[in-house]
Amino acid sequence: MKLLKIQNDLGYWLNSDGGYSPVDKITKEDLMRLVELVLDKDVEFDEFNGENIKNQAHQIIYKSIFQKLHDLLERKQEFIDESKRLYLYEYEKYRKESADNSAGPGKK
Amino acid sequence: MKKIDFHIHTVPTISDSHFTFELSNLVKYVSVAKLDALAITNHDLFDVAQFRTIKNALSVPVFPGIEVNLENGHLLVISDGSNLEDFEAKCRLVSQKIIKVGDMLSVAELKSIFVDLSGYLIIPHYKKGPAITAETLKKLEGYVSAGEVDSAKKFIRTIKDAGAITPVLFSDARISDRLERIPVRQTYLDCGDLTLSAIKVCLQKGKVSLSEADGNELIQIFEDGQKLSTGLNVLLGERSSGKTFTLDRIEKAIGSESVKYIRQFDLVQKDDAIYERDFNSDVERKSSRFVEEYLSAFRAVVDDVLAVDLRANNRKVELYISTLLKSAEDADRQDAYSNTALFDEVELPISQSDVLEELIASIRQVIENVEFKSIVEKHLDTSALINLACELIELSWKKTLENNKRKLVNGLVKDIKESLKFRTSAVQLSDVDLYRTRLDERKINRFADIVRCLKDEAVISEESIQGFRVEVKRGSFEGAGEIKNASNVRTGFKDAFQKYEIPYEYLQALRAKEDLSPAELYKLFTKISYRILNKDGAEISGGERSEFRLLQEIKDAQNYDMLLIDEPESSFDNMFLKSDLNQILREISESMPVVVVTHNSTVGASAGADFLLFACKETEDGKPKYRLYSGHPTDKKLISLDGKSIGNHEITMNSLEAGQGVYDERRKGYEAIKDPK
Repeated sequence: MKLLKIQNDLGYWLNSDGGYSPVDKITKEDLMRLVELVLDKDVEFDEFNGENIKNQAHQIIYKSIFQKLHDLLERKQEFIDESKRLYLYEYEKYRKESADNSAGPGKK
Repeated sequence: MKKIDFHIHTVPTISDSHFTFELSNLVKYVSVAKLDALAITNHDLFDVAQFRTIKNALSVPVFPGIEVNLENGHLLVISDGSNLEDFEAKCRLVSQKIIKVGDMLSVAELKSIFVDLSGYLIIPHYKKGPAITAETLKKLEGYVSAGEVDSAKKFIRTIKDAGAITPVLFSDARISDRLERIPVRQTYLDCGDLTLSAIKVCLQKGKVSLSEADGNELIQIFEDGQKLSTGLNVLLGERSSGKTFTLDRIEKAIGSESVKYIRQFDLVQKDDAIYERDFNSDVERKSSRFVEEYLSAFRAVVDDVLAVDLRANNRKVELYISTLLKSAEDADRQDAYSNTALFDEVELPISQSDVLEELIASIRQVIENVEFKSIVEKHLDTSALINLACELIELSWKKTLENNKRKLVNGLVKDIKESLKFRTSAVQLSDVDLYRTRLDERKINRFADIVRCLKDEAVISEESIQGFRVEVKRGSFEGAGEIKNASNVRTGFKDAFQKYEIPYEYLQALRAKEDLSPAELYKLFTKISYRILNKDGAEISGGERSEFRLLQEIKDAQNYDMLLIDEPESSFDNMFLKSDLNQILREISESMPVVVVTHNSTVGASAGADFLLFACKETEDGKPKYRLYSGHPTDKKLISLDGKSIGNHEITMNSLEAGQGVYDERRKGYEAIKDPK
């Protein structure tokens, strides 16, 4: 899915309705949604080359967000590996007892 | 049988506290203890002149020796004394090497000094601190004749162990001018001549015992020669006949730190409420180490989560977006400073190399493991593993270098951005690390998963102690009061409890409480409770609580060299004494000496004592005289040290059954009410 799109010399982002909104309307919540999509889904962006957006305000915003999401995409595997390992030993340790206690006949 | 003590100190050294040697006390010791041979073994020193004086003053063989600090342990080296000058010269070399506390010899140094160790009697500290390590012992293989232990209990355990070296028990006494008690720790050898070579053969063959006539069944306990069984001793006697006094004397003779002494009425239930509280706190204290260990993993998680600030993360994202939109709005206000490429530059991301480091550690473990080497090699090519490890290590170096470069650049960019910001009115973009922000959220989710597990009711430990079951359970707190109890602080937890269902919020609420230490917060997520259940699985009653405590105390006795119990019947009923106490006393007396004072026939007559003692207060010449009679339970008469005797049947009847008449009457009474069916 394409998260950032350049169309008619303007920058757009994929909103929660599946349509595209202009980048100068993006909010913090929207950005966090895009971050989540980068890490959980297969995504792509239109590349900003310095000329394909004419509006100066759109240029600034698109460039910055594109850079951020692009960096994150590059580290996606690292993120997945690191997330999986988060407190894994601890989680398994305490979860095991819950499983043991509910499986056995001696549930208290 | 020959009685020997080959570990005696006569010169204070840096390894001793100061004392003044008194020859007459050594002569007295040899005479009272009836020693057949002794060795003088001072720390890393041999005083030949003093040795000659000692030898001349005694009529029994005295061997010259030295106690050497060897590779963190102690070792006795004893010579046959045929060439004192040579032995002294060698010991002087030891003294020159050991001049301050902590100095020690290596086995190689020891061998180079004494040249041929097989010419000496070599006895390391074995089951006695500071003990010679197994590794050092291996280097001394072929030279060691016996190993020193420090209690009768360890002596018996060692002699029963087929793989162990022959144990010897010596006094290790400082013969000072203030010697209060004649030492009672010696070893008997089944040996004819007392030459060093004969003694060595005897030790190597394991011909040692704790007593002269009774092998390892009896040990001497008092300097007057009074003995005790190395198994179960029952001490009888009327009121005020000196029984407790005798137990106190035994405690003093062995050393209170080595004796587990359960005094009379120690376990009797007094006030119900106080008792229950004490009892519960006692059980909890004993289990608290387990709980701390159980929650240690969670503690690390809490410590880590405490560093996560979701609100700050949120603010950073907000600031990033607002400054981004603002700088876009103000695009026309850009100037020479804000137009520079570095003005809105963001920091380069720094990767954590934990995953890689752990992977490298795991592969190293596979390569370096010795125990399962053959299985690993069956399935994997070691050289390929080594190549893999090398490549990953090189990658880790590369990543570290890259990260260091990035940190340097980030620092530089930050400085430049700061100085550009001062010179322009344009809005500078506030940076945010979206990777960390997102990962922090994942952390909080996993933390919540773990807390959910911990709140899930489950039995986390079950320990059986002589038929009782200690059950440790985890679960969720039911109210603010329960959290307060677990916290040991006075603050209320009503506000925090409202957030108990959302672990991260709850943690923040706990953190805001000033009188709670952050290091203790991990204890307030899951309720740990204890229950002690009896044989039928029901919670135990007051009487059962006393039984449980007694059994726990006896279990604890395993860590001591001797167990003393004064009148256990004061606290328990006969069924418990017969079925549980007697059995556990029998079991524990298999491995250590036990002395029980009792009036109770269930304990006294049914416990299966190995040795019987009878304390008696007699009047001689108008003055009270306390006497101790002893013997085996099957002996017709018990004998005192000064040769007096007393009928075993009579004292047993008097002590346990209130006399023959009462016993006969009671028996008749029982016969009368017995149902013939």
